[in-house]
Amino acid sequence: MTEERREPREGGSGIGGALRDAGATLLFPVIAILISFAIGAVIVLLTGNNPVTAFAALLRGAFGSPTAIGRTLLNATPLIFTGLAVAVAFRAGLFNIGGEGQFFIGAITAAGLGVALGSLGFLAIPIVLAACLLTGFLWGAIPGLLKARFGAHEVITTIMLNYIAINLAYYLALNPLRTEGLVPGTDTIDIAARIPAIGLGLGRANFGLFIALLAALVAYLLLWRTRRGFEIRAVGLSPGAAGYAGMSIGLNTVLALAIGGAFAALGGAVEVMGVYGKMTVPFVTNLGFTGIGVALLGRNHPVGVVLGALLLGALASGAQEMQFATDVPLQLANVLVAVILLLVTATKLVELIIGKRARALVAGTRLERGLGS
Amino acid sequence: MEDFLGSLGPLLASTIRFATPLVFAALGGLFSERSGVVNIGLEGLMLISAFTGVVGAWYSGNAFVGLGFGLAAGLIFALIHALMCITFEADQIISGTAIILLALGGTGFLMVEIFGSGGTSPRVPGFKEIPIPLLSDIPLFGPALFSQSLLVYLMYALIPITWFVVYRTPFGLRLRATGEVPEAVDTAGVSVTRMRYFGVALSGILAAFGGVYLSMGLLSAFSEGMTGGRGFIALAALIFGRWNPIGAAGAALLFGFAQAVTVRAPQDVVPNEFLQMIPYVLTIVALVAFAGRAVAPAAIGKPYRKE
Repeated sequence: MTEERREPREGGSGIGGALRDAGATLLFPVIAILISFAIGAVIVLLTGNNPVTAFAALLRGAFGSPTAIGRTLLNATPLIFTGLAVAVAFRAGLFNIGGEGQFFIGAITAAGLGVALGSLGFLAIPIVLAACLLTGFLWGAIPGLLKARFGAHEVITTIMLNYIAINLAYYLALNPLRTEGLVPGTDTIDIAARIPAIGLGLGRANFGLFIALLAALVAYLLLWRTRRGFEIRAVGLSPGAAGYAGMSIGLNTVLALAIGGAFAALGGAVEVMGVYGKMTVPFVTNLGFTGIGVALLGRNHPVGVVLGALLLGALASGAQEMQFATDVPLQLANVLVAVILLLVTATKLVELIIGKRARALVAGTRLERGLGS
Repeated sequence: MEDFLGSLGPLLASTIRFATPLVFAALGGLFSERSGVVNIGLEGLMLISAFTGVVGAWYSGNAFVGLGFGLAAGLIFALIHALMCITFEADQIISGTAIILLALGGTGFLMVEIFGSGGTSPRVPGFKEIPIPLLSDIPLFGPALFSQSLLVYLMYALIPITWFVVYRTPFGLRLRATGEVPEAVDTAGVSVTRMRYFGVALSGILAAFGGVYLSMGLLSAFSEGMTGGRGFIALAALIFGRWNPIGAAGAALLFGFAQAVTVRAPQDVVPNEFLQMIPYVLTIVALVAFAGRAVAPAAIGKPYRKE
């Protein structure tokens, strides 16, 4: 029961209780973020720059103008999808590092099908997105089946499937789907069949953002308002008890990873249909991996995932401005994300800061399992 | 037939070269996992060491100074993982993932800071091949096995040494016990924390040898993301080899062979992208075939708290 109490919806009574729970839930990420920025400040000092100038530029680049906000939203959009891919699997006690490959599967499906159905115009969008959900679901199911049937650990299989998916996508983009052009890759999707920009001076930010928010809502409803979601979470909290209650651990394992795959693939599709209009080789990388940080920052809750994606999206767009204003390389943002991830489950560290209460807060953010089992 | 034998030697030689970083990392992973700490950060530890090795060699003009840099970096970042997992009780898999992201981000950041741009570093002095007299004259196997760099010979030696340390020394016994029944180790008056720090530290040093070999043995430069999943393949080799040094090394050799075949296969028959997939597909196949039967150390992945 103590585990369930942490969920905002099921937590303490009334608004006060909910706020207290939300505050407690945010504690780990907030501490991790603060320490990470302190370390970032030291790194900036070491490069011979002023941390205040650098962080001011970071903030300006992330939120300083409509264009900056648009860039932050643009960056956050794919991260919501890849974050959900990790979070849903995590709720079943599974660590999906396969978001990167699943993202590529969605991207190449969207590029191929989007070009083929371009003449349908606007109508092509839902068809292509549905197809990407399907390919992502199937691709995501592979490590689930390997785990459920053969006991192959999903951490290693999802990583291996990343390399396989990326190579497969590149093969398709460079061979059957290749077009003549300066940049190697697929043909460009007809503008009418692409996800339009929001406008309002927000630069390239597009309606894919709303698809991402919708996906987060669906993930929430699925996990907390359906029987299937209940089973997935039950398997994650206690496989033994779930099995005893008659739930299929294997089926829920496969479904959790497959649903995660569908979300990540949708992210790849939105990136292709909303931003690039095609798949180039090489294509954008690391969005899948960053999704891990997003999910953990967001405590594997869809609302948290959206917030985490906004934060890391802001960090990415701010870093560009920081590199421009100072001479701190924008890769600093990746270092900060890694440090946040390193600290975000450090129970004892938080305990040192806030005392024993930390232990009650950590449940649900860790897997407590080894490899090969 | 002449042709076949002629190509077998080079194929064997490149099998050894590709297997070397995998063996180092797998043996490193073995020490960490036997002590009860999952180290999926091997990939990151290799990447960081591959980079710092090149930086050291670039500043000093000496490959051995580079190796020292690489080993130090591998050790430091392994200790960060140890601090997080053992002392601060962070989730081991998440901490390991963070180490990988830290390696990717950190090397990307420092490439720009030190060499002025990302991508590939300038060439640095690497470890040259040193043929062993007489042994390297053996037909076929001689040049493949005994005309390699110093780090490869070290790798040969480390396989039996690791086996001996793990199975025939008091340290090895304590290490294995720490991964299986930490409570018993604690009762016997041995510090679980200390044993785990040792295990993770050793994994950092060994993974560092693998990383340095990658950037300064196999190549003479660092390029971003050059580990390409080798840390994970090494982990799979460890599982495949059932947490036994000989088994893990054997599995690493098999994966090295797959990579050697991939590189040497004729490109016009099978598209390059499919060739690239082979080592990863093989890793999954090996996992599927053996994972069910492999038994991991019992206490792996769990932080230990004294009652």
